[in-house]
Order: sequence, then C-alpha cells, then structure tokens
Amino acid sequence: MSTVLQNLVNQPYQHGFVTDIESDVAPKGLGEDTIRLISAKKKEPGWLLEFRLKAFRQWLTMQEPAWPNVHYPKIDFQAISYYSAPRAKKKLASIDEVDPELLRTFEKLGVPMNERASLAGVAVDVIFDSVSVATTYKAKLAEVGIIFCSISEAVHEHPELVRRYLGTVVPAGDNYYAALNSAVFTDGSFCFIPKGVKCPMDLSTYFRINTQESGQFERTLIVAEQGASVSYLEGCTAPKFDTNQLHAAVVELVALDNADIKYSTVQNWYAGDENGVGGIYNFVTKRGLCKGVNSRISWTQVETGSAITWKYPSCILRGENSVGEFYSVALTNHHQQADTGTKMVHIGRNTRSTIVSKGISAGQSSNSYRGLVRIAPTAAGARNYSKCDSMLIGERCSANTFPYIQVGNQSAQVEHEASTSKIGEDQLFYFAQRGIGAEEAVSMIINGFCKDVFQQLPMEFAVEATKLLGLKLEGSVG
Amino acid sequence: MIYQDSTTVLEVRGLRASVNGIEILKGIDLTVRTGEVHAIMGPNGSGKSTFAKVLAGHPAYAVTAGTVSLEGRNLLELAPEARARAGVFLGFQYPIEIPGVANSQFLRLAYNTVQAQRGSDELDPLEFDDFVREKMKLLEMNPDFLDRSVNEGFSGGEKKRNEILQMALLEPRLGILDETDSGLDIDALRVVAGGVNQLAGKDNATVLVTHYQRLLNYIVPDYVHVMDGGRIIKTGGSELALELESRGYDWVSAEYKNAARATA
Amino acid sequence: MNTATGSGYLESLLREQPALPASPLAWLNRLRANAVERVGALTVPSARDEDWRFTDISPLTKMPFQPVTRAAKLEAAAIERFTLPEAGARLAFVDGVFAPELSYNRTAVTVANLATGAGRHAALLEPHLGRHAGFADNVFAALNTAFLHDGALIVVPRDVAVAGPLHLLFIATQPEAASYPRCLVAAQAGSAVTVIEDFVALQEAAYFTNAVSEIVLSDNASVSHVRVQRDSGAAFHIANCAVSLAHASRYRSVSVALGGRISRYNLNVLQAAEGAQCAIDGLALITGRQLADSHTCIDHAWPNGVSRQLHKCIVDGSAHAVFNGKILVRPGAQRTDSSQSSRNLLLTGKARVDTKPQLEIFADDVKCAHGATVGQLDAEEVFYLRSRGLSDAAARNLLTYAFGAEIIDRIPVASLKQRLESIVLAQTNH
Repeated sequence: MSTVLQNLVNQPYQHGFVTDIESDVAPKGLGEDTIRLISAKKKEPGWLLEFRLKAFRQWLTMQEPAWPNVHYPKIDFQAISYYSAPRAKKKLASIDEVDPELLRTFEKLGVPMNERASLAGVAVDVIFDSVSVATTYKAKLAEVGIIFCSISEAVHEHPELVRRYLGTVVPAGDNYYAALNSAVFTDGSFCFIPKGVKCPMDLSTYFRINTQESGQFERTLIVAEQGASVSYLEGCTAPKFDTNQLHAAVVELVALDNADIKYSTVQNWYAGDENGVGGIYNFVTKRGLCKGVNSRISWTQVETGSAITWKYPSCILRGENSVGEFYSVALTNHHQQADTGTKMVHIGRNTRSTIVSKGISAGQSSNSYRGLVRIAPTAAGARNYSKCDSMLIGERCSANTFPYIQVGNQSAQVEHEASTSKIGEDQLFYFAQRGIGAEEAVSMIINGFCKDVFQQLPMEFAVEATKLLGLKLEGSVG
Repeated sequence: MIYQDSTTVLEVRGLRASVNGIEILKGIDLTVRTGEVHAIMGPNGSGKSTFAKVLAGHPAYAVTAGTVSLEGRNLLELAPEARARAGVFLGFQYPIEIPGVANSQFLRLAYNTVQAQRGSDELDPLEFDDFVREKMKLLEMNPDFLDRSVNEGFSGGEKKRNEILQMALLEPRLGILDETDSGLDIDALRVVAGGVNQLAGKDNATVLVTHYQRLLNYIVPDYVHVMDGGRIIKTGGSELALELESRGYDWVSAEYKNAARATA
Repeated sequence: MNTATGSGYLESLLREQPALPASPLAWLNRLRANAVERVGALTVPSARDEDWRFTDISPLTKMPFQPVTRAAKLEAAAIERFTLPEAGARLAFVDGVFAPELSYNRTAVTVANLATGAGRHAALLEPHLGRHAGFADNVFAALNTAFLHDGALIVVPRDVAVAGPLHLLFIATQPEAASYPRCLVAAQAGSAVTVIEDFVALQEAAYFTNAVSEIVLSDNASVSHVRVQRDSGAAFHIANCAVSLAHASRYRSVSVALGGRISRYNLNVLQAAEGAQCAIDGLALITGRQLADSHTCIDHAWPNGVSRQLHKCIVDGSAHAVFNGKILVRPGAQRTDSSQSSRNLLLTGKARVDTKPQLEIFADDVKCAHGATVGQLDAEEVFYLRSRGLSDAAARNLLTYAFGAEIIDRIPVASLKQRLESIVLAQTNH
C-alpha cells in the first residue's frame, strides 16, 4: 500500500483525552443489588425497577451471540462498573451551572453546550459516562410541544409516555445485549414529537465515555406521533485506554401514521491502537417501528470508531406504505472488526425499503455487512433495493457480505447487489497522470464511493463525517 | 509536421528501466521536436508500452540508467502528477474505471490543477461545463458522459474518446497515446484520430504507440520507430509503417541482428 | 451439527452397513470404518445449524430407509425413455446397485463400477476417494462413505478428449430404499470430458438418495458436469459434490432440480491452483410442497481464478426454494474475478424463497460482484408479448419458460436439453 494511503487511513485519534473530574462510580460487579442501586440513585418508580429486574433475570438465562463475524476474549461482566456520573455539587438550574471542566471537555470535542454559542441551532442532550449532563433548547422546543430531555428526566416528568413505549420495539429479552441494557441502562435521550409537529431544529445527543472501568448503557426512545417529523443526530467519542470498554446501547424509534424519523449517527468511539489494544466494544441494538401508515424511518450511520462494532439498525415496516431506509459507511482499520448492517422486516402492504452500505477496510481489519430483508406473506407489493459495496485498501484486510433475503409474498420485489473495489497503484497513477496528487485522488475516490450515504446526512454531520474519513471535499456533500 | 524553427520537446538518452528486477528497456534514445508526430511500433512485448509508462512515471517501473528531459527539464526527478502538470499526457491503453466519481468532477479537477500550475484562471463548474461541451463536440461525444462515473461502464471506444477529451482539455506539450486504436471500431477510430489531428499543432508533439499500422492511415507520422527487445532498432518515415504492415516485424529484427553482428 | 436429534435414527440407517462386502483394499475399508465412526459422532442437522436454517429435514427422520439387499432386474425397455443417444458410455445403478446389463462403454477411457474397478486403479483412487468430499462434519457425506461400494469411476487419461458424454443413470424403483450413489471423476492433465449424473424414478415412491461425487481436474483439464435430479416427488435427495481444480483447469456445471419432496445439493468448488475457471449454474423448478435447497461454495484459494454463477428458482404451489451461495477469496488470491447471481420467480402467493448470496473476501486486488432478485415477471415484457397478440396467460407461460430455459440451454447435450425443455414447458404451462 502506498504511504499516502497509509497516512490517510492512519490518522491519529483526536478525542483520546481524559477529563479529570470527580465521579460517583458504583462498585464493579453486576447483580440484582447493582440494579437496585442504579434504580435508587435515579429515584425510579417501582415499575421501572421491575422492568429492569425482569430483564436481568432473562439475561442470566441467555447466551452471548456467537454468530457475528467478530472475535474477542470473553467479557467479564463482573469487572465493569455499571454506574458512573460526574459528581454534581448541587442541582443545576441552568446550563451555565454545569461544571466548567465538563463544558471545556465538550468544547474541545466541538459540541456546543451553550445555546448562544451554538451555530447551527441544534438542540443537544449531552451524556457523560452514565448520565445526561445538559440538554439545550429545551424551552424553545417545549413551545411547540416537543419533549426533549434525558430519559431519566422523562421517567419522572412524563412517566406515562415512557411506560407506554419503553421496550415495545426492542423487548427486554430481544437479545443478549439488549437484555443487559434493559437491566442496567443509566441514561440516554427521550424525545417526543406530538401530532402534526415538524421539529424546527435537529435534535442531537452526544455520548462521551470518560471512566476507564465503566460501561456505557444508554437508552434512547424517540416517538413521533401522527404527522410529526424529526431529524435526530448522535455522536460519540471516548478517551484512549489500553483496556476495552463495553458500550451496549438500545435505541427505539416509534413512528405513527405519516410520521417521519431520520436518525443519523457518526460513531467515533476509540478504536484501539494500531496493535488492536484497547478500544470500545460497541454492541448496540437499534430498531425502529413504522407503526402507522405512510410512516418513514431512515437510519444513516458513519461508523469509524470502536474496536468491535456489532450493530444492525432495523426497521419493522408494519404500517401500510411505510418506508425504511438504511444508509451506512463503515470504515475499519488496524485490527478493528465491524459486523454491521440492517434488518428490514416487511409486514404491511406496499412497504418499501432501501439499503445502501459502503464498507471500507484497511490494515488488518475485518468489515462485514450482514443484512436481512424479510418479506412476510402479508406484505403484498413490498419492495426492497439493496446495494452493498466494499472497498479494500491493502491486502491484509477482509470484506464480507452476508445478505439474507427471505421472501414469502409473490408480489414482492427484492433486488440486492454487491461489489468490491479497491484503491490501488493503478488508480492513483491514473489520477497522477492527470496532474492530481495522491491525497486528493484518494479523497475523491472515497468520497465518490460513499457519496450515496453522505448525501443522506444533515449538512453539519456530512462535514464531520468527511473530516472523520480524513478527506478534503471537492464539490458539495450533503 | 516537421518545422524549421522547431524546438526540442522530449530528449531521451540511454534509457534503461526494469520491473521486478527484469530489464525491459535496454537503452533508448529518442528526440522529439515541436510539431512532430512520432509512431513507435513493434511486436507484442517489445517494450513500447513500458516506454510510454516510464515517460509518465509509472511507479511499477524503476529507471536504472539514462536521462529524460522535457523542454530541458529533468523529467525523471518529477512525480507523476508533476510530469502531468509540466505537460506530459499519457493516453492509457486501458483507462482506469473510477466508480462514484463523476466524469465532469474529475475533468474539472484535472483541468483546474493544470491551469493553476500554468498561472491561468481556474473555471467554476458552470464555466467549465460550457468549455468542456465545446471540446466534446470535437470528439462527437454524447454530453451524458459528463454525468457518468469516470470510465465506468464505458465501451472501449467511449473510454478512448474520454482519453482524447482529457488531452484536449489539458493541452499537453507532449501527448503519448498508448495503443489508442486497440478496441476501436472503424468509426470510433476515425473520430479519435480526427481529434488527435486537430490537437496536434506547431507547439506540441505527439508520440503514438501502436502495434498495427491502421491508426497511421488516419494520423500520418513524421517518423516511425521500430522497437524490439527494449531498443529502437530502426527509424524511418511514414513509408516504414506500410512496409511493416506488408512484411511484418521479423525482417527488421533480422536486419538489426545482422548489423549488430557486423559491427561486433 | 451439534444437536441431539435423531442419533437413534442414524443408527437405524447404519443397520445394514456391516453386511457390506469388504473391499480388497485395506485403506478403503479403513475409510468406511472412519465414516461409520463419524456417523456415530454426528447428529442429524436441525434448523439451529446455520447451514440448515431454512431446510427442515425432520420429515426424513420420520421414515425408515434401508439399502436394498436384492436389486430389481430391469428390462432395457424400462429405462428406454432415459437413454441419451449421444452418450459414449452409460453406467446404470438400480436403487444404488450397479446394473451391468444396463451399462455400456464405447469409449477408450475408464468408465467402470467402483467396486470392481477400484483394484486396478487403486494408486489413482487412494489420494482422491473420500479426500475431497470431507465427512468429518458432514453426516450425510459420512453415511455415504460408510456405504461406499458400488459407484461410478471415471478416469480420463492425459490429453484425451472424450467424444460423447458419459451418462451415469441412477434409477430408483422401490419405496423405503436408501441408496448411496458415489462417483469419482479424475480428469488428468489436458483432458476433456462431459459427465451427466441423472437421478430418475420409475414410480412415485418415498425413498432416500444420499449421493457423493468427487471431481478432480488436473492441470488444463476441462470437465463439463451436468446434474439432473428428477426424483419422485415423495423422495428425499441429499447430495454432496466436491470439485478440485488444478492449474488453468476449467469446470462447468449445470444442475437442475425438478423432483424430490426435500432435496439438498451441496456443491463445493476449490480452485486449488492458479488460473482455474469455473462456471456453475443451477435451476430449481418446484411445485406442490416441494423444498429444493442448493448450497454452493466457490473457494478461490489461488490468484487469477475466475468464477461465474447463475442460479435460478421458479417456485410454484406452496413450494420453498433455498439458495446459499458463498464466494470465498482467500488471502493472496489476487486478481480473482468472480460474479454470482441469484434470480428467483415466485408464481403463487404461497411460494417462498430464501436466498443468501455471500461474499467473503480477504484479498484486495479482486473483482467480485453478486446480485439477487426475487420478483415476478417483468411487466414490460408481458406487455410486449401481449402487444404482439399473445394472451396474458400465454405471455406469462412463455416468459416463465424462458426464465428457466436460460439455464437448460447451457447443457451441452442436445437430447437431454430437449427433454428437459419439454419438462419445463409442461411445468410452466398454467
């Protein structure tokens, strides 16, 4: 591999610092006591504690999944702390009272916590280790009836809503990590867009893991009522540690009739060093339910971080004419492993789904697309189009494609295509012969390769995503 | 065309080059002056495509001896993109496909890079669009080309037209066309050759690398060189190409060997 | 295969194994013994095994099957309709037992029964027989190997091109019979041959065919392999075929699945040297409650390999088609050029298909593409034919037929092609 390519894919991790802040960390270990402790710390109602305990008991009977194409030593769940929060001096009245050390941390990460300073007018919920530390623009959103707050707050302020939807898309016992999350989740974001409201700004959550021995188990729930729409963004970073941290999140989306939810992620958890030491285990369950007619859920993800990614943002297309979309760029380098993709489950009539997946593997990494398209017998007229492309940089990495296509309705149409390409000397020489330097050539090739996905990202995120891939942009993306 | 007041564009002396330790070029001498069209012919494996790639700086080839200068400037010390900016254009035998990158985007970037090098104005997308469409008429190209990915899914003829279009945009001092006629039907050959003829002028020079004589029915060279075994073994005028067409290459090789034996 | 189901069933299948006559070749007896041992260690696969996720073979385990002890004597007339005039040789097996009276060999190459020909070709057989179709983790290959006795042995010497196709005809005549067809083809350097494996039934009975084939191509050899499974609609058919390709060899296969209550075909092609090429095509045309499952794996282990694959399923009635096609490009297998396509047509509301084309790539300088479609006939094409005066039904029948005929057309034996075309035509005529 040419040195230009090497340098380009080997950019140092820029978010690897640790914030020195006094934290309230629960002792390591997992048992019913831990769960009662978390629940007590959060002063939760009894039904939620029951939800957690039930999930935990189920988790105890479950097996860690072995089918993903990823390899890692067995996780010792007793060596993890399940609660870590920056110690607050007193209850906060406004953002201005947030610990300045935290403000500086997020400033450094480029996350605006100050409403006045924020450029794009994006409302942000900021999660530091286990807890939400601040949510911006809450008041402004409340004017149109939108609830945007941490899920802990929602449990207290809007218990009936949380109770109505929590665990309805991803049941507590859905899979090993979803069960674990259901038992020990600490915080996350909640947003509720009432009937007929188009959310006036993008909503965003920024996740930061800071403590070395804590796991992060956030839970996000987004509900868009009839005719509502929202665009939600999620970003994540973590310090460099030479041990692995577990991140097992659950995200549930519910779209009622004619509602529209767009969920974008730029995932840049610490990936470990060039020898594969350290990094986040990113085992995440994300699922959206298109419950109502004509509803739409769209997932866009740019996955560049984590030592291991195991993630399949999915759509259950139950409402007639509902639409599911999945756009993904996954870049793996060094010893990173990614097994990611989506599930599109067509249940309603005339449901449609689109899958566009772009995998880029470099170094000795392994990058797998795994996707399921299931057309139930009830889904007359269903349509799916999938396109999964892989790009290999160097000869020590691997790219795999595992599409599962299950069709039980005659009138359905499903189309899947996949291809591989590479950036090699010949391509770079062709550019060079036309006067274009290697760095620009690589950036152009990768941008061209990822174009279909970048187009789906909101503008600010598209910029961040391209920067993340180490690219200079020619023309406009977004 | 040979002009009295021409200047030297390319000067190659004693050029030797190898790939993976195997020597392919074994001492090449060639002088190309402004206004001239040179044809380099030879059997398969004679080293003529290697010669073209070495001039453009392909990283797979190592130059082990000799000098190459472009208008007095040492070409061998320049990176491939610097050679391109200095005015060397290589028309590829197998143009590379670049999925996802729009042809218009690629052409404009290449054009603006070379323009910037020459201290000329860069064109914004709209200006460039007008400019490129004019050039495309020259090659009877469908404007759809601009929106498609670079060379992806192009037919052989379309790829070659795209190469000549790039040459038309970049206005090189030295255009080297490697087997431009391969894979072309007769109509495409006529169009491509017409483009090359229109681009060839008093101030630039063209080197055609070709196995067959048929391209030379359309582009009449001033000099024909026969390459074999990594050397130029015979040089003549355009009539030499016709002789090669009727008699093949063997007699030239035999003649060269005899001459070599005589001098030994 | 790690479930506990049906180990008693496997024992019952092995009941007659000890009665098998011993081979004069010690290694062959050892091979059988090893296979018996593996059967003992393995279990019948269930839906929990990834490789059997969509194919429930439990109906098989509910029925008793034993090898026939006395082969039925068939008159030549009984198999008249299966004869292929072009064939240079035919080996016929009745319920798995070699039938010399129905067999002939007009070619100069070895086309013989394994049980009797093994001795003469022992040196050639030993490195191949049971070595390519591994049975360590495959209970059906192990069962077949445990019963290894009669079978087809084809040896094509260096640089010999066999003129006519070689016809291996496996005839099922009895209910509850278990047969273990076995085939070894050794195509030596530079040779060329066409081999037809043809599975037919004389009556609509429930029987169990469990076949294993091994096809070994030496440098520059060329093998065309046609496989026609037209078993009874009540039969169970499970087959494993392993192909090994040496330098610059070419393997071409067309497999057609028409019969069977449940059928499963595993085809593994290993490109074991540089520059090998393979083209493997398949068609499943099924109806009623049939299930046809095809699992293929093309293993590009060396550089400059080429593979092409087109697999089609036409699913009528309440039938269920399964396709799993894996393309593996191993580290260092640079300049591999592979393309794979799975095309599926569902004709009724109850038909079902599960398809999984799959790429696993460990080298960067490769060209790999795959695609899968599931759908109906192209509305534009139907319209085009109707605009030329065909009725809607006639247009659909014609297009459905054409969908399947694309695969049948690739069979290089005219008489067989013709017969299969008329079967497809009849089956697609609604």
